[in-house]
Amino acid sequence: MARIQLENVKKSFGKVQALNGISLDVKDKEFFVLFGPAGAGKTTILNCIAGINLPEEGMVKFNNEIVNLVDPAHRNVAMVFENYALYPQMTVYDNMAAALRSNLYKTDEATIKEKVHVAARMMKMENLLERLPSQLSNGQKQRVAMGRALVRTPNVFLMDEPLAHLDAKLRNAMRTELKEMQANLGSTCIYVTHDFMEAMALGDRIAIINKGEIVQIGSGDEIYYMPCNEFVAQLMGDPQINIIPGTIKEAEGGYVFCFEANGEKLTVSMPEDKELWKKIRETGLKNTDMGLRPQNVKYSFTPEEGYFKTTVYSYESIGNKSVIMAECGEYQLRMIAPNGLKIAIDQDIYVRFEIDHSMFFDPQTKEYVSRYDEETIREFAAEQEVK
Amino acid sequence: MAGLTLKNLYKRYENSGKKKKQQNDFAVKDLNLLCEQGEFIALLGPSGCGKTTTLRMIAGLEDITDGEIYIGERLVNNLHPKDRNIGLAFEDYAMYPPLDVYGNVAFNLRAKGVDKGEIDKRVREIAPLMQIDDILDKMPVKLSGGQKQRVNIARAIIREPELLLMDEPLSHLDGKARQSMRVEIKRLINKIKCTTIYVTHDQLEAMSLADKIAIINFGVLQQFGTPAEVYDDPVNEFVASFIGEPPMNILETTIVKEDGTFFFTFDNSNLKIAVPSRYYSVVSDGFKCKMGVRPMDVLIGGEGSKGTPEEIATFENLGDERRIGVRVGDMLLMLITEDEKRYRSGDIIKLEVREEKTHLFDITTGNRIREQA
Repeated sequence: MARIQLENVKKSFGKVQALNGISLDVKDKEFFVLFGPAGAGKTTILNCIAGINLPEEGMVKFNNEIVNLVDPAHRNVAMVFENYALYPQMTVYDNMAAALRSNLYKTDEATIKEKVHVAARMMKMENLLERLPSQLSNGQKQRVAMGRALVRTPNVFLMDEPLAHLDAKLRNAMRTELKEMQANLGSTCIYVTHDFMEAMALGDRIAIINKGEIVQIGSGDEIYYMPCNEFVAQLMGDPQINIIPGTIKEAEGGYVFCFEANGEKLTVSMPEDKELWKKIRETGLKNTDMGLRPQNVKYSFTPEEGYFKTTVYSYESIGNKSVIMAECGEYQLRMIAPNGLKIAIDQDIYVRFEIDHSMFFDPQTKEYVSRYDEETIREFAAEQEVK
Repeated sequence: MAGLTLKNLYKRYENSGKKKKQQNDFAVKDLNLLCEQGEFIALLGPSGCGKTTTLRMIAGLEDITDGEIYIGERLVNNLHPKDRNIGLAFEDYAMYPPLDVYGNVAFNLRAKGVDKGEIDKRVREIAPLMQIDDILDKMPVKLSGGQKQRVNIARAIIREPELLLMDEPLSHLDGKARQSMRVEIKRLINKIKCTTIYVTHDQLEAMSLADKIAIINFGVLQQFGTPAEVYDDPVNEFVASFIGEPPMNILETTIVKEDGTFFFTFDNSNLKIAVPSRYYSVVSDGFKCKMGVRPMDVLIGGEGSKGTPEEIATFENLGDERRIGVRVGDMLLMLITEDEKRYRSGDIIKLEVREEKTHLFDITTGNRIREQA
């Protein structure tokens, strides 16, 4: 297993700059996730590590050794693709054994047999070894593709959306297994996905990629609670975070948050948080975009102290809970509600912000400024790191 | 505007050539469905279950092997598709590339010979509803996927159909666009109050959009009910595991009687869950069945909890919520918590199950075992 480093890697395809100075340091035995929208450059990064793409600039290092000029075959990486890429004419056993039989490894059949069986047991597919790929379900094919990667002891596992083709039920189950498996193997793994749940669930650390650049690197908690800008905040979380434009004003030794809803000017007083107030003073933050997760917007169907009135834009169930969207003129507010409420579209609803869970962004640059309980969250994140 | 009735509907695709003598299985088998005027119905099922075939039969694009289809009071079995007064919106947008958005939306009315002033009035009416008023002069190639689907739906509803049929209209869109389109479709249908049949394989779409869901598997209707009914009261194991994300935990269990109380027990596990007393009339000591419980009905007990101590096998932090997996024999029991505590695999938790929320399924047929009234 290995530590994988990228230093200022650049790669372009014709006029398109696919990677624009990517630097990463993936620790040995780490589960590292590359997460971002389609076309961000995630797969290109993976291909640069595998040696399929040659970067025009920058270094790729395995255990501190530069491997830019090493052939893909000699880098000893194991790849798992979205479309499995199994040999259709070979049985599952032969598919798994193929790499070990190659000129490069030339392993004897007895060792191959042992290794294939160990991997098959780990992937719970010992009963499938004699089948052809055409006789397998998608989930089983994906297991074979993974099993094939497991028979060797590669420097690193590179996985490119391996669960994307599976149905929801299977994806859930495989995701859980994958994490358990990686922990047992103690292997380095770099995993590409555009699904935030996969990123959060699997990654020891996550790198958010957009337009060929790294936007943020951190643990799931860090990225969820302290996203470096509004783009990242909106990527993490379903339903999406609410972004409410407004201004922070001084009032009676403290601060209040002023915003508009349906043309009406509203004010919420901000409870004291020394850290946050210091940040507000230092940065002189006035106009701001407030970010508030849907679970921190509370609602009522009767007028209540501290609630403001608006109307329901939509109400929909998302499985174990529902989302209410409320119309606020310039924007819409998402909030979490239980299933099965009797709610009509366009009916009145009263809403309150739990402002002590909010984060603040610069409205021009969209960059993160500060949030409530930042210190606590930093400590919390650091604690997670230790493991 | 009208409701829709399907009576004993069958569909079998005929083999051609050498295999002509072999008979295929029915793609749709004895399907009965009653949709009230103005209702939004989702046909939900895995791929190949016959939901699109059903939709195509309603539209008249596919022959009916047996059975009857009524739109309102009218039997439409032998009616030509164009005479059924139906609006269609499919997964592929199939727009006329040389026409701009306005031309595409107006096409059907023009073909029917509606006069120009009337067409213009209707297009202008519908455009803001579908939020395409600012792209009316654009060509289809310039549109994003979400915009194309809006145009596609606008085109279907401009003819004021009695019945609107949609086949996976959101499946080409990416996550964000899909979410916002879902909301738009819901608002639109709420406004125009047109009877709608919506085909999807995504349980989330069905749950969030439909008044009623028809769940189909292998061409057979499994359950027809409101989202709440199919979620809380599934008729069989298939429905129970198809609806809900993450899916319901379904574990094989042996019921054991101890001191007059029945418990669910599991092979190679110390987990023991009391059987709700309402099932006492249908279970017995040594009874084998499957127990289903939703991940949100499995809880972590606090201090002094009487729950069974179990080791955490998997822990997933998803930001909004956390999912924990516990091994029960060789199966994984999932639970969901919004608790902020970060566990690690190997930690011991006290596992509690909301017993009254457990369901029983027959071990071979998968049918719900219900308490006797």
